[in-house]
Amino acid sequence: MPKILISDPTLRDGNHAVKHQLTAKQIAAYASAAEAAHIPIIEVGHGNGLGASSLQVGESLHDDATLLEAARKHLVKTKLGVHVMPGFATISKDIKLAMDIGVDVFRVGSHCTEADITQRHIGFIRNKGKEVYGALMMSHMASKEVLAEEAYKMQSYGADGVMLYDSAGALLPDDVEEKVRELVARLNIEVGFHAHNNLGMGIANSIAAVKAGATILDGTACGFGAGAGNTQLEVLVAVLEKMGYSTGIDFYKLLDACDLADREILSVIPRISSISIVSALAGVFSGFSKHVERISKEYDVDPREVFFELGLRKVVAGQEDLILEVAAALAGKEKRCA
Amino acid sequence: MSMMNFVREDLRTAVAGGATAVDVLRESCILVTGGTGFVGKWLAELVAFLNDEHGFNIRLLLLSRNPHTLDIHAPHLLCRKDISLVAKDVRSVMDIPEDVEWIIHAAGTPDNRIHASDPLRVMQVIAHGTGAVLEAASRLPRLQRVLNISSGLVYGPQPLSVSNVAETVFSGINCASVQTIYAEANRFGESICAAYRNLQRLPIVTARPFAFIGPYQHLDRPWAINNFIRDSLMGGPIRILGDGGKVRSYMYAADMAWWMLSILARGRSGTIYNVGSPSGITLKTLAEKILRITGDSQPIQVNLSHDFSAKRSIFVPDVSLAEKAFGLGLTMDIDTAIRRTIHWHREFTTLK
Amino acid sequence: MTSSSEKIKVAILGSGNIGTDLLIKVLRSPYLECTLFIGRNMSSGGMHKASSLGVRTSDQSIEAIVNDPDCCDIVFDATSAIDHKRHWAVLDGLGKTVIDMTPAKIGAICVPAINLDDCLIERNVNMITCGGQASLPMAYAIARTHPDVHYIEVVSSIASRSAGPATRLNIDEYVDTTSSALQYFSGCEKTKAILIINPANPCIDMQTTIFAKVEQANIEALRLEVDAMVRIIQSYVPGYQIILPPTLENNRIVIMVKVLGLGDYLPRYAGNLDIINCAAIAFAEKYAKLRYDQLRITNHESRITNCFSIIRNSWEGVDKCQKF
Repeated sequence: MPKILISDPTLRDGNHAVKHQLTAKQIAAYASAAEAAHIPIIEVGHGNGLGASSLQVGESLHDDATLLEAARKHLVKTKLGVHVMPGFATISKDIKLAMDIGVDVFRVGSHCTEADITQRHIGFIRNKGKEVYGALMMSHMASKEVLAEEAYKMQSYGADGVMLYDSAGALLPDDVEEKVRELVARLNIEVGFHAHNNLGMGIANSIAAVKAGATILDGTACGFGAGAGNTQLEVLVAVLEKMGYSTGIDFYKLLDACDLADREILSVIPRISSISIVSALAGVFSGFSKHVERISKEYDVDPREVFFELGLRKVVAGQEDLILEVAAALAGKEKRCA
Repeated sequence: MSMMNFVREDLRTAVAGGATAVDVLRESCILVTGGTGFVGKWLAELVAFLNDEHGFNIRLLLLSRNPHTLDIHAPHLLCRKDISLVAKDVRSVMDIPEDVEWIIHAAGTPDNRIHASDPLRVMQVIAHGTGAVLEAASRLPRLQRVLNISSGLVYGPQPLSVSNVAETVFSGINCASVQTIYAEANRFGESICAAYRNLQRLPIVTARPFAFIGPYQHLDRPWAINNFIRDSLMGGPIRILGDGGKVRSYMYAADMAWWMLSILARGRSGTIYNVGSPSGITLKTLAEKILRITGDSQPIQVNLSHDFSAKRSIFVPDVSLAEKAFGLGLTMDIDTAIRRTIHWHREFTTLK
Repeated sequence: MTSSSEKIKVAILGSGNIGTDLLIKVLRSPYLECTLFIGRNMSSGGMHKASSLGVRTSDQSIEAIVNDPDCCDIVFDATSAIDHKRHWAVLDGLGKTVIDMTPAKIGAICVPAINLDDCLIERNVNMITCGGQASLPMAYAIARTHPDVHYIEVVSSIASRSAGPATRLNIDEYVDTTSSALQYFSGCEKTKAILIINPANPCIDMQTTIFAKVEQANIEALRLEVDAMVRIIQSYVPGYQIILPPTLENNRIVIMVKVLGLGDYLPRYAGNLDIINCAAIAFAEKYAKLRYDQLRITNHESRITNCFSIIRNSWEGVDKCQKF
């Protein structure tokens, strides 16, 4: 039976949904449940990864070490993963710390056209003998050819695999299939896919990726994640099993883990709000939504207009400061017109 | 044991009493571009060996953009009177000292990380560098021969039905891809050589190197054998990306150096010689061999998540041309090559 | 005002984008004269540009200065941090004043709008990073108007095409250097620097946002301070502008600036490369003006002052390298 490697970023992407306020206690509880369910990898940390707690993208309740240690204690067979964005995280300050704590799997991400900034980081991690994957974020913003070339760079740097991230939840199954197929054809390493559910395509896109040859998928408990949330993990596993793929996950225990997440972690149930639909149509990073909502209210502007303006400006993940500039400009324009 | 003595042992084995075969190099001056790279360092060690133990009295010029790397990796080569370092970008070579009779053009990095991140520089170094060196060489009064070190990648993907690729078998390369810039640049480099042979009657031989292993090869290069050795030396486990079915072959560094020098001294102008090991080995078998030698107890990790048969590849040369022409052979089999490499790294390098 | 013979002679080491753009700026300066433009590869775009402008070039790297130590008083080093360490060992011995464009962090760190005069006595002056030149004056203004700054963070977005292979490879050095300079100039211990590379087409202009958390925000005082600071910066970086004046939002102070380049060798969107070069030129010109005034008041005999005397240095590597 073909095998799909499941990586679960509930405790990382989900942190976006609670403005990076996950507690050590919540992390410990979910990590134990994930271990019991034999989830292969769980990702933990600030929504934007190691070293990302900041005024720019949001301050984390706990520092990275606290978050990672809380999970580490409860993991034996389940591997501990982190997300790393060069430009935020550095090798000496953040990656070494994560290694000392015992992180097993690293995802080193860049905007999907800028893979060269991951060279040092991927190389460092690979040379330490740890698993390392490249992550091409906002993959709706580049053609399949460009994505394949960037993914090839990551392969050259020593990545075990490359993940395509639909960070804005903007892709449709046909796009996913085409992009993943190109990567699978051009690379010698694993290809994976990370979905967001803004257009209700989380499961459909993940399945399209598998059909095109992807062997790694991301999914989160109850779909807990940025924007409209991620692929709902328990649904994904059920669908995969039904299609004849194995994941190695204990399904009943997974349901337990998701129920626990529902009880203990999800202060907000991810749903496809009208804002998140607009966000996907504008092609803006899902992690922006909380900031856009707040700032639009402060400046008394329509969040939908803010999203479309950000989309026109082709902002990438990490450019949250521009929300303020755009909102201020829109507010100024309205004032002048009034 | 010192680094120098370690390498000397290897060279004694590789040359195996055949030093007289390169007698034409005695009392001459040799220029090596890419002089502080893997090939350059080994050629320097070989020349030092021939001078010290066989009285060759060769003067060697090592041209390098970053000559300081020698301070770090092979300081014993720096203080020799018979070896001089020249700090120069190969693209900027305009004149070559007129006593140079032999040139080995080894500039151009095979590091695929740099191919991916800085493809333009890689292409320019090969294209402009080869042009600059040959232009300057064409004004040398006593030039005997130029050895252009190209790449075994110029053939394009080796058909799975071909166990050993000979010098004449080309499968074609997609030239509109960033994944093939190193191969394409080397093809262009070979074309420049052909033009200089034709136009200036420059005596140029070409070597197409395949894969090597041994001292002075950095384990951080993202190539299978280097990664396996590093993983294993760090306590494992060895991780194979894929099912381990790919076929490669590895020649030990000392043999490589002796083959290169032999081709320089004895090769026929216009002829191309593959350099590498003709004995293919799957990556899985390779990893098992490394495991046995390091004594690392962790099991090898192979990825069996799906069918990798479509990704099978083979990269193994037919080297009978050089073997027959010069009576060359491999003095170290793969097991000895791995053992010596691991010994070297345990003794002289730090992995941390 | 100054004839060619009275201009201060400078050499530019490094023929990449930074070095070549510096060359254009030096050629325009009434105080500076580029006597040698040095790279390692004669066929590079920068070398061609310099030759086409009639500037003397060399591919001998640092040895070009060793071989002709009288060629210059100031050296701009636009190579790499690793190379700068070797270069400084030589140039220090030759008595040169060196403006370091790399993140080597050997010398005194300089932001002209903050500490230009303090740096004039230094022999090795480091220009930090592009994001540092854009954000540090604002961070400094915040620190001057707020006694208790808990945290400062700066985020720079640059156009993908303005980030070459070296910038990309050394992104960690950028982050470390910028955040430690933030500590130095603001006195605040907790700082953070973030770099974002944006591939949008047409290329985005360089933009930097400065965030701060303070005990009690005084936006009025800060706005005055920032306005004054901007006027100083604009005297040497004409394309520096505020796009969001000091604002208190979500309990954080926010200031946003944009830097449009002069469009010399590099396009205007590459304000990140322009600002660090403008800062370097500002230092060099001030140094030159000072020197020029000194020279005018001293008589001809003492014209060759200690600062300019050449101390030959026996650099070991020089002899080892045979010259072509």
